[in-house]
Amino acid sequence: MSGAIIRLGLLVAVLAGISGVQEWRVDTGNSVMLAAGALLLCGLFAGKVAKGFGLPRLTGYILVGVVVGPYALGFIPGEGVKGLELVKGLAVSLIALVAGTELNLGLIRRVGMKVAMLCVAVCGVTFVVCFAAVFALKPVLPFLTPMTVPQALAVSALVSTVVVSFSPTVTIAIVQETSARGSFTEFLMALVIIGDLFVMVAFALAAGVTRASFGGGFDVQGLLSGVGWELFGSVGVGALLALILLVYMRRVNRELPLFLVGLCFAAAEGGSRLHLSPLLVALSAGALIANLDERNSQRIHHAIQLAGLPVFALFFAAAGAGLKLSTLVTVGPAALLLVVLRAVAIHQSCRRFAPAEDPRLKRYLWMGLISQAGVTFGLAALISRTFPDFGPQVEVLIVAMITTHELVGPVLTRRALERSGEARGDERPQTA
Amino acid sequence: MQALLVFLAIAALSLLASSRTLLDPSRFPGVAQLAASGLIFLIFGALLGPGLIGVLSAEDLQGLRPVVSLGLGTAGVILGLNLEPRVLRLLPRPVFSAALAHAGVAFLFVAVPMAGALLLTTRLPLGVVVGGAALLGAAASLSSGHFAVLGYRSGRMERARGLAVALLTMLDDWVGLLVLALALVLGSAASVADGGGLVALALLLGMLCGALIAFLTYALKDLSELTAVMLGGVALVGGAASYLRVSALLAGVACGATLALVGGRAVEQVARALGRFERPTYLMLVFLAGCYVQARDVDAWVLLPGYVALRFLGKVWGGSLARRFAATALELPPRLGYALIAQGGLAVCLVVQYLMLVPGPLSQHVFDVVALGAVVNEVLANRAFRHVLEPPPPVVKEGAA
Repeated sequence: MSGAIIRLGLLVAVLAGISGVQEWRVDTGNSVMLAAGALLLCGLFAGKVAKGFGLPRLTGYILVGVVVGPYALGFIPGEGVKGLELVKGLAVSLIALVAGTELNLGLIRRVGMKVAMLCVAVCGVTFVVCFAAVFALKPVLPFLTPMTVPQALAVSALVSTVVVSFSPTVTIAIVQETSARGSFTEFLMALVIIGDLFVMVAFALAAGVTRASFGGGFDVQGLLSGVGWELFGSVGVGALLALILLVYMRRVNRELPLFLVGLCFAAAEGGSRLHLSPLLVALSAGALIANLDERNSQRIHHAIQLAGLPVFALFFAAAGAGLKLSTLVTVGPAALLLVVLRAVAIHQSCRRFAPAEDPRLKRYLWMGLISQAGVTFGLAALISRTFPDFGPQVEVLIVAMITTHELVGPVLTRRALERSGEARGDERPQTA
Repeated sequence: MQALLVFLAIAALSLLASSRTLLDPSRFPGVAQLAASGLIFLIFGALLGPGLIGVLSAEDLQGLRPVVSLGLGTAGVILGLNLEPRVLRLLPRPVFSAALAHAGVAFLFVAVPMAGALLLTTRLPLGVVVGGAALLGAAASLSSGHFAVLGYRSGRMERARGLAVALLTMLDDWVGLLVLALALVLGSAASVADGGGLVALALLLGMLCGALIAFLTYALKDLSELTAVMLGGVALVGGAASYLRVSALLAGVACGATLALVGGRAVEQVARALGRFERPTYLMLVFLAGCYVQARDVDAWVLLPGYVALRFLGKVWGGSLARRFAATALELPPRLGYALIAQGGLAVCLVVQYLMLVPGPLSQHVFDVVALGAVVNEVLANRAFRHVLEPPPPVVKEGAA
C-alpha cells in the first residue's frame, strides 16, 4: 500500500506543478483532457490506497476527486470537470447494463413481489419521515419561508421524493468490486433498482402537484404521458439496443468492449436528448439480453469488466471532484438532520418490514440503501431547472446530502455485503 | 451532441474500414490502401467537416480539441517509445547519413521552391513564409515504412531489405519533429525567446510525465490495469499540454523517450498496453484532422501538384543518394526512393499541431496542402512500390550479343 500512497503523492505533486505553471501562463487552453487523465490516474491509485485501508475502492475514487477537484485544492479546473459529463453518462449506462444482465426472469419470480412490497414500505416510511421533517423546517429553510402552506407542502413532497432515492450505480459498483453473489445481493440490487423506478414515478407526480400549487395548473394528461414516455419509452429503446447488441454479437462479434462503450455512449447521450432515463434504457437492454441469450449476457458482463476499470474510476473521481464542499457549510445542519432521519427511517423500516425468512435482510439491508449519487443528482438538477424561483436552493440542500451519502454510502454498502457473507474479496484488479 | 455524432461516425467508419470487401486489394486497390493506412478517415473528415458538407461546425471542432490533443499525445508517446538509445547507439553512422540524405533532399526539394510560391501567392513577410515552407518541407521529408513492412511480411520482399527501409523511415521522423519544434519556436509566441520557452516547457512536461508514468507502471502486471494507467498517462500529457497551450506532440515524444530511457523491462509491456488503444485514437485524430481541411482553399489546390511532384523527385533522388551512403551498412532495395513515397500519419500530426498552436491563413494553407498531399502520396505509393519489387531492367552493354 505504501507504494500506492507514494505514487498518488507524486501524481498530486505533478498536478500541483501543472497548476502552478498555469498561473504563470496567461494563455490557457481546454482543460477537459487534463481533468480526464488526472482524475483517472488519481482514481486508480486512490482506489488501491482505499483498498489498503479496508475501504471500498470507490470511496478512494470519490475522495481523491474531492481533494484534487476545483472545490478543495483546485488542481483540476472546474471547466474540465464539467466537460466530463459525457463520461458520467457512459458510466451510468455501463453499470446499468451489467445490472440488467443480473435481472433474469427466475430472480424476478423468486423475489420480485417481496422486493416490491419492501420497496413500498421503505420508500413510504422514508418519504413520510422526510416530508414531515422538511415541512417542519419551513421557518428555517430560506426557500420554504415565504411560501403558503399548500405550496410548502407540495415542495416538501417534491424534495422528499428526491431524498428517498437510492443509488443503483454505487450499489452495483460495490457488488462488482466485492464479487458478491447470493440471495442477499440479489435482493439488495433488485430493491435499489425498483426503488428508483418508484422514485421516478413519484417525482413526476410531485412535480406536477408543485407546478399546480404555484398556479401552473394540474395537467393530468401531460403528467401521465411524461411519466409513460420516460418509463415505457426507455424500456422500448432499451429493447431496441438489446436487439442491436445481440445482432452485433452474432454477426460481427469483434471488439466487443469497444462496441459496448459506443452503444452505452449512444444510450446515455441519446436517452437524455429524448427525455428518457439512460439508466432504465441500459437496464432494460441488459435484462432483455440476459433472458434471451444467457451465454452472450455472460460475455457482456466479462467485456464490461475489461472496459469498466478506467470508466468507473474516472466516473466516481469526477463525481467527487464535482462535489461542492461549501454547500455543507451553508445548509449543513438541515442537510445533516435529513441525512440522519433518512438513515433512521430506512433502518427501522428494514427491521420491521424485511422478509423474516432471511435474518440478514433485517439486520444489514439498510446499510446498502444509504448511498445516493447519479439519479439523485439528476433529479436535483431537474428541480433547479423546472422551478427557477426556489429550485437552485433545493439543489444546494440535496447536493449537501449527496456529498455526505457519497462518502458514507459505499463503506456501508460494502460492510452490508461483507456481513451478509456474500462478498468474495477484491483480488481482481479489474474490478471497479 | 457533437461528440456523439463524431463517435458514431467513427464507429460506423471503423466497421466500414474493417470490411473484408473494402480491404481486398484485388477489388479496390486504392481504397484498400487508404483504409489500411487510416487516411480514408481523413477524407471522410474533410467531407463531414465545416469545409464541405458541414455536419460538424467550427464550434463543434473547438469542443473536440481535447480529443485531438489526446491523439497527438498518443502519437508522440509512440514515437518517443521507438527511440531506443541502445539500438540507436548500435547503428553505424552511414545509416544516419542515409536517413538524413533522403529526408534532407526531399526537404530542400519542397521547401525552397514552395517558399517562392508562397511568397508570390500569400504576400506575407519573408520570415513567416520561410517558416511555412520549412514545415511543408518537413512534412515532405517524412516517409512511412508500412509498404516495406507489409512487403516482407507477405514474402514479396526480402526481410532484410524491408527492415532496412523501415529503419530509414523511422529515423526520418526526427527531421520532421525538429523542424516542427523550430517552427513553434519562431511562430508560437510573440518573441523567439518566448517560443523557445514554450517548446522547452512542452519537453519538460513530457519528461516529467514520462518519468511519472514509468514509476506508476513499475511492477504493474495486469494488462487491463496497465492499459488504464497508460490511457490516463497519455491523457494527462496530452491534456496538460493542451491546457498550457504547448505542443502535445512534442510533449508526447519527450514522454515516450523518457519512458523508453528509464522504463527498463516494463517498456515492452507499456508498448503493448498502448497498442490496445493506439488504433482507435489514431483514427479519431485523423478523422478530426480531416475536418480541419478547407476543401475550398484554392491556393492549396494550386500548390498541391507542385508539392507532390517535388516531393516525389526529392524522394527518388534522395533515395538513390541514401542507398549510396548506406551501401556498406544496410541491404537496401535498388529503387529505394520508390519505397519512400508513402507519407503516413505523422505528417498530418505535424501540421495539425502547427495549425492549433499557430492559427492563421498560412498555417491553414500548409495544413491543407500536407493533408491532401498525404492522401495523394498514399495512392501514388501503392503504384510506386511495385517498381521496388520488380527487378531493375538489365543494363545492356554495347557490343553484347
